[in-house]
Amino acid sequence: MSRRLRGLRRTSQLVFLAAFVVLFGLAAYLVATPIPPDAFLRADPLIAFSGMASARRVILPLLWFAIPVLALSLALGRVFCGWVCPMGTSIDLAERLFHMRGQRPSRAPQLRRVKFYILVAVVLTIILPAAHRSAGELGIAQTVGLSAVYWLDPIAFLTRTFALVVLPVVQWFVGLANDSLMGFGYTDFVGRHDWLARAIAPVQTGLSVVSRPVYFRLGVFTFAASAGIIALGRLARRFWCRNLCPLGALLGFLGKASPIRFAVSDACTRCMRCVNECKVGAITDDPHAYRGVECIECYSCVAVCPVSAISITAGRAQTHRDDRLELDRRRLLQAAGVGVAAIVLPKIDWGQRLAASSTMKFAGSKLIRPPGALPEESFVTVCVRCGECMRICPENALQPAFGEGGLEALETPILVPQVGPCAQPCTLCGSVCPTRAIEPFTVEEKPHLYLGTAIVDRSMCIAWANDKQCLVCQEACSYIAILQKQIDGLGRPVIDERICVGCGLCESACPVAPQRAIHVYATGDKRHLSRGEQAAIRRQAGEPQRGGATGMGDTSG
Amino acid sequence: MTQDEISRRDFLRRAAAAGLAVYGIGELAGLDGAAEAAGPPTIAVASKKSPAQLVQAAVNALGGMKQFVKPGNTVVLKPNVAWARKPEQAANTNPEVVAEVVRLCKAAGAREIKVIDHAIDLDTAAFKMSGIQDAAEKAGARVISARSQGMYQRVNLSRGKVLKSADVLRDLMRADVCINLPIAKVHGSTKVTLGIKNLMGVVWDRGAWHQSASLDQCIADFAVQFRPKLTILDGVRTLLTNGPKGPGKVGTPGVVVAGVDPVAVDAYGATLLNFKPQDIGHIKLAFAAGVGEMRLDRIKVKHV
Repeated sequence: MSRRLRGLRRTSQLVFLAAFVVLFGLAAYLVATPIPPDAFLRADPLIAFSGMASARRVILPLLWFAIPVLALSLALGRVFCGWVCPMGTSIDLAERLFHMRGQRPSRAPQLRRVKFYILVAVVLTIILPAAHRSAGELGIAQTVGLSAVYWLDPIAFLTRTFALVVLPVVQWFVGLANDSLMGFGYTDFVGRHDWLARAIAPVQTGLSVVSRPVYFRLGVFTFAASAGIIALGRLARRFWCRNLCPLGALLGFLGKASPIRFAVSDACTRCMRCVNECKVGAITDDPHAYRGVECIECYSCVAVCPVSAISITAGRAQTHRDDRLELDRRRLLQAAGVGVAAIVLPKIDWGQRLAASSTMKFAGSKLIRPPGALPEESFVTVCVRCGECMRICPENALQPAFGEGGLEALETPILVPQVGPCAQPCTLCGSVCPTRAIEPFTVEEKPHLYLGTAIVDRSMCIAWANDKQCLVCQEACSYIAILQKQIDGLGRPVIDERICVGCGLCESACPVAPQRAIHVYATGDKRHLSRGEQAAIRRQAGEPQRGGATGMGDTSG
Repeated sequence: MTQDEISRRDFLRRAAAAGLAVYGIGELAGLDGAAEAAGPPTIAVASKKSPAQLVQAAVNALGGMKQFVKPGNTVVLKPNVAWARKPEQAANTNPEVVAEVVRLCKAAGAREIKVIDHAIDLDTAAFKMSGIQDAAEKAGARVISARSQGMYQRVNLSRGKVLKSADVLRDLMRADVCINLPIAKVHGSTKVTLGIKNLMGVVWDRGAWHQSASLDQCIADFAVQFRPKLTILDGVRTLLTNGPKGPGKVGTPGVVVAGVDPVAVDAYGATLLNFKPQDIGHIKLAFAAGVGEMRLDRIKVKHV
């Protein structure tokens, strides 16, 4: 029975990890799923709490997923950590793969407290800015906090790692394989055999989608962070879960209410196998005592006991279950100090300088947000940095911000037209954002969702500087925002900045490489206005008309 | 068989027809001779029918698809699918025209028909919104977005004046037959985009053409070496302003123009957009390079 329970737990872990991967994969390739593709993010109480605190309202779609997780923890302890969490499972698998059994399980037990300090700091970074923003509406200056939850929450972290590291690696390999096969002429071989062509047609369609190369700048940092978390397993198994994870801390705290107890019978021979097997070091020295807050209910102890002395009961048991958090007041204050610092420190970051020097609030010159994004001060608190928008962007144009918006905008999505444009008929980022930091928008709204403005660099432009035929930017423009000025019989591009929304099609199409001759800047970003006001501005600009070429006049060579 | 060999054979045939003496006179004179010796090029212009019937009528007037596609051939169709625009916006080739060409190729015994373009807008959106993905697949073609560099191969263009090499679609190089399926549109930098301009869509490094000494010359250089077996110009709708992407004023000549001579088809196509062929840089240069005939009074037009 005991081994079966462990088997059941492992099955559950694999099923949930598979569900996470499948949901991620299906959403990445735009396959509709019966459950929301961001179900795991929603189920994360920290994210749900943070999302609702930022929005200062109850968001039911978040609650429907988060409440079961909370209830589960109250009833059964950290079952989520041991049975569900895809991050925990990933760490388990990695530790198996790299034969990391950790050192002595009881090594540095005081580190366990760190996760509670992190939780305190994280919760403060959620509550204080939200409270302050409420105050802000009463006339007090607004503030923006650094929501540490997005960096430290395991689900957000794993989602981001999948989007920025795993997906590009997978697609790169598939693309390489696909191109190599085509290089060997397999399409022609297939073409000669009708039955074969029919048989592999779906595979080819799939390949053409999955082989699309995607790149994320500095994805290697995200990789380094995940590699670091796994490498910590050398010090102790599930180092992350036992010492650092703020979600684990929260669920463990709630799990204090759980009536589940382990009972160790007198048959115990003190062989210490359970102590050594415990992934999170919850059984420290004495097999008859364990820390309830640490236990992730993996039941490995039950499975490895050679004399089957351990059983699971509800209610009272003779085993000593220690539910103390062991936090000391000074450390808690320190943690609170770190939380406050996390809110304050971005205020001295250069992002603020950019904000002060620009016409917009909180915007650097290259801080171009996707359409539908909230005003910057709300955006950085509501965005969970999960990377969903970045991985779904079919043009690979949404990239994690690095310095553009300062520290508080780190890893939030920005449009980088040099990589790709905001495709005119696409509304995907708005449809996948789990927290509505990017609010859903329609194709019809896009002509008045101003992200920025394009500027022609006449010193680089083929038409302006070199007197050659080009106008690729004008060709590509979806909104007729680029006009041509005829000088010496040659058309030169000029921007109509009342119509340009800054989608970046021109910049991405510009043949001047690698430095383009037309650049989009955040200038003209109108997120601080309502959509109705933006639409009115667009209406005032009138109908775009660059006019037709006429048959008159020989102007080209 | 590569496209290069096709055009070389074609070139040799012309040269033989023109005779060596003509070559001595000079390039332009040589071309005159070639055009006359080969007889005036014939283009077929079909009108007043449904798009599918227009294609049938125009191709039949040239002797039917069997003239161009032999049983067992691999055929590459190159429509214009550059933009995420709907058919009624006239920024891409009419999907019904593409589908009908697919059906004709199939009836002529083609083994495989590939519909390929290198879209400028997001390719998935362009292929879908243009209606070409659905129409061509339904008609029995394989629709391919040529969006990765691995699908192209380096080709030296020995006869190019400005364009000396290009990364050309491998599928095109390996095809038995290429049929160009442009739509007639005005164009910001080249005034019009018709057949030979549409071939930019089989080139990966087309951005370099804009940086070269002359975009028009690059288009002509490419047309010298890459000569589709047949050009079928979609004039069902034309884009008259804000080309090549629009949205702009859409004209409805309701015609399909087909011809073996790409320059002749383009010369006629220019008139659909209210241009004279001699006003279009790349058409003039292609004519001068001997690709085909642009003088309207020397082109035999079969109206059907």
